[in-house]
Amino acid sequence: MTTSTNPFKMTISRFGEDGIRVLFGNDIDLSVHEKVRNFYFYMKSLDLPEVIDYTPSFRSCLIHFNTERTNFARLSSLIEEKEEEALRPGNTPESTLQEIPVHYGGPEALDMKNVCEQTGLSERDVIAIHSDIIYTVYTVGFTPGFPYLGTLDQRIQVPRLETPRTKIAAGSVGIAQGQTGVYPFPSPAGWRIIGHTDVRFFNYEKEPYSLLRIGDKVKFISI
Amino acid sequence: MIEILNKGMMTCVVDSGRYGYAAIGVPPSAALDKFAYNVLNCLLNQDENAPALEIIGAGFSIKFHQDMICAITGARVRASLDERSLSPWASFAAEAGSILTVHEVTEGFRYYLGFTGKLSLPRVIGCYATNLECSFGGYQGRSLKGGDQIEINDIYSVPLGVVPDKEIPEMKSPHFLRITDGPEHSFFTEKSQKTFADRESRTEYTVSVNSNRTGIRLTGEQLSFCDGVKKSIISEGILPGTIQIPGDGLPIIMLYERTIGGYARIARVVRADLDRLAHLIPEDQVIFGRIEMDEAERLWEERRDRLKSFL
Repeated sequence: MTTSTNPFKMTISRFGEDGIRVLFGNDIDLSVHEKVRNFYFYMKSLDLPEVIDYTPSFRSCLIHFNTERTNFARLSSLIEEKEEEALRPGNTPESTLQEIPVHYGGPEALDMKNVCEQTGLSERDVIAIHSDIIYTVYTVGFTPGFPYLGTLDQRIQVPRLETPRTKIAAGSVGIAQGQTGVYPFPSPAGWRIIGHTDVRFFNYEKEPYSLLRIGDKVKFISI
Repeated sequence: MIEILNKGMMTCVVDSGRYGYAAIGVPPSAALDKFAYNVLNCLLNQDENAPALEIIGAGFSIKFHQDMICAITGARVRASLDERSLSPWASFAAEAGSILTVHEVTEGFRYYLGFTGKLSLPRVIGCYATNLECSFGGYQGRSLKGGDQIEINDIYSVPLGVVPDKEIPEMKSPHFLRITDGPEHSFFTEKSQKTFADRESRTEYTVSVNSNRTGIRLTGEQLSFCDGVKKSIISEGILPGTIQIPGDGLPIIMLYERTIGGYARIARVVRADLDRLAHLIPEDQVIFGRIEMDEAERLWEERRDRLKSFL
């Protein structure tokens, strides 16, 4: 493995009495993402009883800890101790590639017209561009199972809606700036909707509950 | 069995929260006033994660089909069991056929009702808490309504207890919330940071009607971002009590329903004051006061010891 070209050192800071924020970089970047991912899976594998939860995202991992079992100083020195080992590639589970059939356009694609207008592209072009890339899951959140996928082709990057919708249908495929994602539940939505999928991204009745986790890959297939 | 006759404004099943799944976006959906919820379980000698009802608003009414002991904590309510009026933060014996009615909420917003028995509800992702937005957990993944029935098994008895009035936390407006700095507090001008949280300035914010179980929106003095700072951040983890400032400069206090946020996190409400967030009613006044981390930790220890005195 070559060493990362990103010189950013891990920075630890405090987030409230029971939170630690471990930052790996400043931008949305695959090498930063790899660090977050390695760190998260490594820490999780330690099964530390003093940790309540980890929230890995684009450039950081937030650790929620139990103040009855540890404190900020102790847990952060443990993290520093483990830094090298945690960031060593190869700790992470194999990422899966999920192919997601999407019905682009039509009445459910609330913003397809608008996206075409903003980008000056035809619907066919938008679909071709959106379904051409193998995306990386940078983080899962907002609602359970919602994947933040990147990176969207420059040509179809559009801003979020100025006023988010209060409710959109489950399965809506949205885009915003450099990201794309799928809303697993009927929920508020600020991204522009260009399609719909029947694939279930979250099933609370069956482990592992979420179709995707950080580092998995997604390819959309136009149907 | 218990039967809901009237749901009040809203009633849902809660517990101490769904933790361990933040990496796949599953939020805690915990009881908002954890102190009240914990004291409820103490009064009833219940498990610390036992399901209980979290209720908003007057009019709530429930019929008991078996003898059991119950307790109410949280918001102060004027309630009666048939003709008998009930004390706040106390347990009481309910006989089969009796009806509990809440006539008025006199201080605070959310109150908690628990029972000495095992509510026949499934655990979803390890928990009883209701994720209302995603319709899972609790009672069929939804808030309760009139006519809903919940079986209660393994009913046991405990001596009746009451929390001394002076031990009941204050829940009325104005709410003074202490905060510690969040990762993006320096995104805001010094003047804004001062106005927002300086203990001397005592800037009042008003709780918006657009608040819900996900977040409390405030109106009032808008915060100004420093020049050249982006108004949204690359989405990142948040914890309960995180105060986010979206582009319009008005604070949103996040509760227990999100794991990730995309707005600047100016601060976090200290843990000792998180319970108070359950009692912010639209139109209430909120005043923030910035404190240092060691003071926040000391306040939490006090809060924890106060709870331990009930055990």
